Amino acid sequence: MTTQEILDGLKQAVIDGDEDSAASFAAQAIDAEIKPMDIIKGAINPAMDVVGQAFEDGDAYLPELILAGDAARAALDLIIPTISTDDLDGSVQGTVVIGTIYGDAHDIGKNIVSAILAAHGIKVVDLGINVSPKQYIEAAFAEDADVIAISSLITTSLPYHREVINNLVDRGERDKFFVVVGGGPVTAEWTTQIGADGYGRDARDAALVVTQLLEGLAEGNKAPLAAPILVGALEHG
Amino acid sequence: MKNKPDILEVLHRATTGEYCTQKEWDTKKIPLTISRILKEHGLAKTCDMENPVNMDMELADKFYAAGYQAALELGYLCTDTDRIIAVSQEELDDALKHAPSELTVGEGKDATVLKARTPSDPYPLKAATSLGITLSEDIYADMAYLIANEREVDILEAGSLTTIHGYEVLSGTPTETRMGYEHGVMHREARRKAGRPGMGGMGSISAITEYGQFGAYGTPGGFRNTDLALILFPSEMKVDYRTLHKVVHTLNMGGIMKCDSPGMIGGMPGPAEGAVISSIACALLSYAILHTHVGGGEIYDVRYLATVNREGLWALSMTNQALSRNTHTLVHNISNQVSGPGTENLLREIAAGVSIIAASGASLTTGPRSAGGKLNDFVTPLECRFLAEVAHAASPMELSKVNEVVKALLPKYEDSIKEPDLGVPFQKAYNMETLEPTPEWEAAYRKVKAECIELGIPLDA
Ligand code: B12
Repeated sequence: MTTQEILDGLKQAVIDGDEDSAASFAAQAIDAEIKPMDIIKGAINPAMDVVGQAFEDGDAYLPELILAGDAARAALDLIIPTISTDDLDGSVQGTVVIGTIYGDAHDIGKNIVSAILAAHGIKVVDLGINVSPKQYIEAAFAEDADVIAISSLITTSLPYHREVINNLVDRGERDKFFVVVGGGPVTAEWTTQIGADGYGRDARDAALVVTQLLEGLAEGNKAPLAAPILVGALEHG
Repeated sequence: MKNKPDILEVLHRATTGEYCTQKEWDTKKIPLTISRILKEHGLAKTCDMENPVNMDMELADKFYAAGYQAALELGYLCTDTDRIIAVSQEELDDALKHAPSELTVGEGKDATVLKARTPSDPYPLKAATSLGITLSEDIYADMAYLIANEREVDILEAGSLTTIHGYEVLSGTPTETRMGYEHGVMHREARRKAGRPGMGGMGSISAITEYGQFGAYGTPGGFRNTDLALILFPSEMKVDYRTLHKVVHTLNMGGIMKCDSPGMIGGMPGPAEGAVISSIACALLSYAILHTHVGGGEIYDVRYLATVNREGLWALSMTNQALSRNTHTLVHNISNQVSGPGTENLLREIAAGVSIIAASGASLTTGPRSAGGKLNDFVTPLECRFLAEVAHAASPMELSKVNEVVKALLPKYEDSIKEPDLGVPFQKAYNMETLEPTPEWEAAYRKVKAECIELGIPLDA
C-alpha cells in the first residue's frame, strides 16, 4: 500500500468508527515509517473534522461521534508512544477524566463533550454518571490525568464541585490537576467562586478551554490558575 | 395469557436479564436496532420539515408498529446491574390492555380527570405547570401559590428547591430527604392557599434522587397518593435503581405515577424518525416494566436543546398521534421552549409546541420550559396560564389547521432557537408588591394571544 492509501484507510476507519481497522491501519502506518505527526494530521484530524461537521449538520448522531472518537483513540494509542517530543510541533496532548457529578444522571451533554475532546486527540477517560468527588480524584491519579472535567445539570449537586477542589487543596495536591466545570446551572461566577480553572458553555467551548489549559501546561503553567478560563458564559437579565 | 410482570419479577430481571454494558447499549444496541427497524418499516427520512405537524395517520400507525417492535426487541437497560429488563409480547399486551384510560388526579371538586384521547379529541389536554425550574427559597411559596391560583392550570408541579431555611441541599444526602418533605408541605399549602385544596399535584420535581421522593411523596402533609409521583428515567430506554426505588415507593404508598424519558433527536437513536421510535417503545414499556399510570412519548433535540424546532415538533406530533391512536393509554408530553419570561417568543414557542401536543391526542402536558429551564427564577405564572389556555383551546383543532398555525409561528422564532432571548427572571417580569405581571409582560401576553386567535387557536372561545 502507498502512504496515501494507508492514510486514507485510517481516515475512513475513524469515520466509520471501526476501532480494529483503525488500529490495524495505524500499525501499518508506523511500519511504513510514516511520521507520527503526518499520520495524525493526514488521517485522524481530518477524519474527526468530517464526523464533527456531520454531527453539527445533523448528518451524524451521537453514537457515530462516540465511536469515531474511540477509533481515533485506538489509533492514537499506537501512534503517540512513537512521537518524540521535538515532533510534537504544537499539537496538544493530554488526559482528561470526565464524569457527571454525584446525584446527577444527565449524561448526554457529558457524552458530547467527551466525544468532542476525543476528536481533538485528547485522551478521555469517561467515569460515567453519579461520580463522587473522591472518584474523580482517584481516577485522575490512576490515569495520570491533566484535567478533571465535571459535568452537572443539577443545582443541588453543584456543591460537590467545591468538594473536589477542597479535597485536592486539603490533600496538598491542588497543583496536580486542572479542574474544568460545565453544564446548565454552572456559571462563570460559580467557577470563579470555587476556584476552578475553566468553564465552557458547550462542547466546543469545553474543547477550547481544555486545549488552552493543556497548551499552558506545556508552557509550564500549573494548576490552579489565578483566574479561570471562561468561554461562552451566558449573559442575562 | 401471561400477565405483565409483577414489580418483584421486574426487580428480579434487573439482576438476571441479559448482560449488556451501557456503552454497548448506547452505541450499538440502541442505534443499530432502531436504524434497522426504521428501514424494515420504510420510515427513514419521512420527517417533513415543511409540515411540522404530521397529517398522515397511516404513517403514524406505521411508526406505532415500529415502536412496538422496538419495545419487544429492546426492553430497558438497568444501568446499575448492566442487565436488560425485557418483556414478552404477551406481557406487553397485557400491560397495555390494563393501563388506565382515565385517571383522577387530586381529590374532590378540585381534582382533574385525565382521559385517553385521540387526535382532535374535544376532551381537553390537561396542563401541569411549571417545570422544575429552580426557584430561590424566598419566592418559592409565592410562586407555587400564584401558579396554583391560575384557574386554567389543572395540576401543580411548581419549581425546584435548592436550599431549605438557607441551607444548601446536597443531592443524595439527608438534606435532600428533608428538602423533599418541606417541598411536599409547601406544595400542599400553595394549593390550599389558592382555594383549591384538592387540586392535583405532581412531584416531587426537587427530588433529584429517591431520597427526596421518600421525603415528599406519601408523607403526612406532603404529596398525597392521589397526586402523581413524578418519575423520570435516563434516555435512551435506561432505568436505574433510583428510578425503580421511586416506582416501588409509589406502589407502596398506593399512589399513582407518571413515568417517562425523552427520545433524543441527534442522540443515540439518531434522526427525528429514530427518536420517535425510541420514544414510543420507551412509553409502551413503561406500562409493563414500571407499572406507570401515565406514560411518556417525549422528544428532545440535543442539537437545539429544544423541542420547538421543526424536527422536534414533527417528532412530537408523530409520537403523540401514534400512541393516542393505537393505545388507550394516558400520554404525557413536554414541548421544551428556549426563550425566557418577558419575551413574546416564549409565548409563540408555547403556542406551537402545546397546540401540537393537544391536537395530536395527548392527555397531559407539563411545561413551560422557560429560558430552556436552566436559569434560576426564570419562569412566571403568566406563561403557565398561557400554556394551560393553549392546551385546552387547541385540543379539538384539526391537525391541518394546527399545521398552518405552527407554520406561521415558526418563522418568528426559529432563527433564534440556538441563541434565544432569555428574558428576565420572575422578580423583573412581575411587580413584586402586587405579585402581578408588569404592564410590558402583560402586553406581550395580550399581543401573542391575539396573534394566536387570529391564526386560528380558539383562545377566545
Ligand atoms: C433530558 C433531561 C433529562 C433526562 C436525562 C436523560 C439523560 N440520559 O441524560 C431525564 C428525563 C432522565 C431527566 C431527569 C431529571 N431531570 Co432533567 N433535564 C433534561 C433536559 C430537558 C435536557 C438535558 C440535556 O440532555 N440536554 C442536552 C445536552 C446536549 O445539553 P447539556 O447537558 O446542557 O450539555 C451541554 C452543555 O451544558 C455543556 N456541558 C455539559 N457538561 C459539560 C462539562 C464541561 C466540563 C463543560 C466545559 C461543558 C459541559 O456542553 C454540552 C454539549 O453542548 C434539561 C433541561 C435543560 N435545558 O438542560 C433538564 C434538567 C437538567 N433536569 C432537571 C431536573 C430537575 C431533573 C430531575 C431531578 C427531575 C426529577 N425530579 O426526577 C431528574 C434528575 C435525575 C437525576 N438524578 O439526575 C432540571 C434541573 C434543575 C436544576 N438546575 O437543578 C432541568 C434544568 C429541567 C428544568 N428545570 O427545566 N432530565
